[in-house]
Amino acid sequence: MFGYYVSLAIRSLRGTPVLSALMVAAIAVGVGASMTVLTLNYMMSQNPLAHKDNVLYAVQLDSWDPNEAYQRSNNEIPYQLTYRDAMALLRSDIPTRQAAMHRYGFTVSSDDFELRPFSAEARITTRQFFALFDVPFVYGGTWDADADRSPVQQVVLSKATNEKLFGGENSVGRSIDLNGEPFTVVGVLDHWNPSPKIYDLNNGPFNEAEEIYIPFGLHRKFEIYSWGNTNGWASGDSGEGYEGHLQSESVWIQYWVELQDEEQLENYRDFLTGYIREQKQQGRFQRPLKFALTNPSEWLVLNEVLSDDNRVLGWLSLSFLLVCVVNAVALMLAKFLRKAPEAGVRRALGASRHAVFVQHLIESGCIGVFGGLCGILLALVGLGTIRQLSFGYIDQVATMDWLMMLAAVGMAILASLLAGIYPAWRVSRTNPSLYLKTQ
Amino acid sequence: MLELKPMLSALWRNKISAMLIALQLALTLAIVSNASVIVQDRIEKMARPTGMPVEDLIAVTFQPIAQDYDMHGAVVADLDLLRSIPGVVDATHTNQIPVSGSGSASVFHSQPNQEIGGEVSNYYETGPHFMQTLGMNLVAGRNFTPADMRVVQPNEDARTQVAIITRQMADALYPDGDALGKSFYNSNGTDPVEIIGIVERHLGAWVSWSKAGNVIFFPRLQENNFKRYMVRAEPGRRDEVLKAVEKQLAERDPQRVMHIETLSERLERSYMSDNVMVKVLSAVVTLLTFIVALGIVGLTVFWINQRRKQIGVRRALGATRANISRYFLVENSLIAVTGLALGMAGAQIANHFMVSSYSQPALSLPVLLVCALILVSVSLVAALVPALRAANISPATATRSV
Repeated sequence: MFGYYVSLAIRSLRGTPVLSALMVAAIAVGVGASMTVLTLNYMMSQNPLAHKDNVLYAVQLDSWDPNEAYQRSNNEIPYQLTYRDAMALLRSDIPTRQAAMHRYGFTVSSDDFELRPFSAEARITTRQFFALFDVPFVYGGTWDADADRSPVQQVVLSKATNEKLFGGENSVGRSIDLNGEPFTVVGVLDHWNPSPKIYDLNNGPFNEAEEIYIPFGLHRKFEIYSWGNTNGWASGDSGEGYEGHLQSESVWIQYWVELQDEEQLENYRDFLTGYIREQKQQGRFQRPLKFALTNPSEWLVLNEVLSDDNRVLGWLSLSFLLVCVVNAVALMLAKFLRKAPEAGVRRALGASRHAVFVQHLIESGCIGVFGGLCGILLALVGLGTIRQLSFGYIDQVATMDWLMMLAAVGMAILASLLAGIYPAWRVSRTNPSLYLKTQ
Repeated sequence: MLELKPMLSALWRNKISAMLIALQLALTLAIVSNASVIVQDRIEKMARPTGMPVEDLIAVTFQPIAQDYDMHGAVVADLDLLRSIPGVVDATHTNQIPVSGSGSASVFHSQPNQEIGGEVSNYYETGPHFMQTLGMNLVAGRNFTPADMRVVQPNEDARTQVAIITRQMADALYPDGDALGKSFYNSNGTDPVEIIGIVERHLGAWVSWSKAGNVIFFPRLQENNFKRYMVRAEPGRRDEVLKAVEKQLAERDPQRVMHIETLSERLERSYMSDNVMVKVLSAVVTLLTFIVALGIVGLTVFWINQRRKQIGVRRALGATRANISRYFLVENSLIAVTGLALGMAGAQIANHFMVSSYSQPALSLPVLLVCALILVSVSLVAALVPALRAANISPATATRSV
């Protein structure tokens, strides 16, 4: 019966090509526009650390100005830590793993091969960074434990950097020059590029992961300032020179911990409370005692990775789809009523109201399938246009996976079925005698 | 005269279809008006004057390969070289690239020893040549002289004696408009910085910042491990100058990594999300209007087909073609006006939500009215073709099949 209804539907759609095209177009445009925007929003809302959502926490401490709260964050605690607080937290052995880090850039050069020197995005971090975020290695591993505190010139390369420098072969033990100083390669990563870049959302949540990874113990040797955000409130509080910067109240270090269970979490909270109390006695942390441990999914929300603009577009595209559905209802009503005589004959020949209803619903479903397929094409065009408008910044995000394609067809069928319910019901109430008379 | 009564009763018989059209128009007005006000806001934002000849400017960022590098010496040599390249108007060092989205800011006060309050400002570390390079308009006071310059190490106490500020910043610090010659201070600071000049305007590093336009220029060169230059080319010669700059800087000192780009490119990137918003919303508005118009055409055609006989009867009873067309147009307007009245209320509610939850601009009455007017016209035009065709139905139709 289903097959018969489908063939009836196709025949009926062919019978009124203009009206059918209009209905398919309405559904297609509605689905195309909303899928373009919803795909973007869906990809932007991904949590690349979802599998560790209940064990990872971003650490925030309120070390800010006693006179006013930190305005640039949504929970009024700076998103980053001062260098001295990060160094103090690193001494705790409560977390299973932890990492302090920030963004930087090195020039990369080498005498060994013909390669133009280039500037590489670097992550200055501590050795557990890789295990903490499940970063896969192809060769070697992280650096030695003392490299987090004393200057050890070791480096971990991203897969792409290793390909650029060493043609992808095992480069562990080889040497490269960073800012003119020799560094030994200790590890090479496999492809890793979380999107959004959840571990550091400061400079654009859809930037690429870094090209090289450098131990945290090199700050003084290279006088490393953050290439991310540095925010301060007490200017010139801690003396001059680089040491003054390290000891200052400026916040520029991101900090993450891994805590396995409630007990460990509680212990760590106690540790942070104790630390802040101790600092208060030394005259720091003059604001009310406040810190936050935020898991990855909440961290993305707190940092507004999905911007207001994206949300506006999301609502707008859904309303757009609604208009298209209303439009399709009106057109389908017109079409079904025009065909009411046919339905009358079918009823007179013994078809139940239910059968007539189902038949027309299937016809609207067919419109949905066609509309959905055209909608996917439109969405692909839409996403392509957005990729072009955004200079490659959101290339990773503006792509449709098979799940979103299925969702598009599903949405189109659902929309057209919704649109078809009332018209199909109306036509199924047709009084057969009325039409038999005029035939 | 307008046959309102029979019209209303006919509409009542087709109430669902009429309601569907009205509902579409209502939703469309709500979407279109809210989208228009956002588009208008973003277009105005992107059209703000930057205070610079953006089309003629080139930005250079470089990082020396070696750790120990004579940054001051390099900057002096580079700038001399840059200014000697044919087609270059002027060049300057700077700590940040204008409108690039990356830069420095701090809080400044008009009184010494202040802890709270103050005015936050974007600041440049640059030199006497910035005025000509960035095409600034000095409205009061004087430019820097080489004697004002300070060369400092990173995080050294870097306060200079003098500064030039934008008029917007001057008005924020000294609302009475007498900022020239006065001083400002860092937070908790006691050392005054004298305001020696005021420039008309400069947008600063962040185009989307609520205080964009608060900008201070310090005559300073910091010897950190990377440096930036701005180069201004003669109008129309930017691309040729860019190539020469790249080549000559690399030749003078190959031991560094350089990145050169045009400022227009940076500006475009900074306005990327606004631009995407404008394009997507405009597309939505156009498509939506088009879809609604098609829907109206489709439905009017259907109604007319349904009423062929009645039309024939009316024509046989003496109604003119104009009467028939007018009938459908008036009917359509009735529906449209009802829908749009609903839509105005809907638009206000939606806008309230947009303003409170997503900090979007408020919807003004003129915008709403203009959008409504456009939609009325669209709906009339959409109904016009079928209505004119209806008038062609021959009176004979009435007699044929009764």
